[in-house]
Amino acid sequence: MKRLAFIPILMLSACAATPFDIKRDELAGARQAIQAAKAAGAERCAPKLLAEAEAALYHAAHELDETGQHPDETASLIAAAASKGMQARQIAIRHCQPKARKKPEIISLSGVRFATNSAELTVDSLAVLDKAVETLKKRADIRVEVAAHTDSRGNDAYNLALSKRRAASVYRYLVEHGIDAKRLNAHGYGESRPVADNGTADGRARNRRVELRILE
Amino acid sequence: MRLLILFLPLLAYSLPAEAGMLTGIDERQAYLEAPLQNKKDYHACLARELAMIASLEKGQHDTEVARRFMDMAEQHAGKAGGRP
Repeated sequence: MKRLAFIPILMLSACAATPFDIKRDELAGARQAIQAAKAAGAERCAPKLLAEAEAALYHAAHELDETGQHPDETASLIAAAASKGMQARQIAIRHCQPKARKKPEIISLSGVRFATNSAELTVDSLAVLDKAVETLKKRADIRVEVAAHTDSRGNDAYNLALSKRRAASVYRYLVEHGIDAKRLNAHGYGESRPVADNGTADGRARNRRVELRILE
Repeated sequence: MRLLILFLPLLAYSLPAEAGMLTGIDERQAYLEAPLQNKKDYHACLARELAMIASLEKGQHDTEVARRFMDMAEQHAGKAGGRP
């Protein structure tokens, strides 16, 4: 009777065994291909191919358990797992990766200056803006944002308002010289987007700027 | 009575979870695949692939291996929102 007690215990332990040993050396290549595919996002972007690769991996692991019984089938399963894993990775890389945001093209209007604390364009600025008008007439298919920036001296609200007035001033000049207003918009960024160190005179001069940001 | 108590856990363990009395591979495959029909996510695809292998192994009279593949298939079906 006591011996009978061991029967269910033995049977239960057999049931609880791990399914298949996919950590075998023979499966290293296929395993890595599948891991790389998962890392590239294949679960989301190539689910069927990845599932086929993984199922083939488990199937190959089982065939390897049956030592030498179906060598051709085993080799074919390993190859399928690796190949489908690699394909899934390629698809994931092509379609799943977040696309790098294209940096907007900027036409610098270096040389455009304003009187201190004013949105009035200096005389020297006009030649630069005339060139910008020419460029915009040549590239009639683009829309641009007139973006004006200040350095960090003064308070934020004041700098923001000043940059808006300066952007509007350039916008007006471009429209008055034949650029369709529908192709333009004006935006003042204040001191929020410095390109140089505001701690130096040179840096502040570089931060006080007007640019044309191409929108499309 | 003692025998009954000894074999009770084995009986409970051997039944597929929430599968009622379905113990045949083909029955389990059909039960698993129906709710996965329109699902194309990774776990649904893997569940179908594993169930297919289970069926293949059953065809080769390797019922123990078939059962193991089907167990895995049911786990992934559960993750896909189908029947575990």
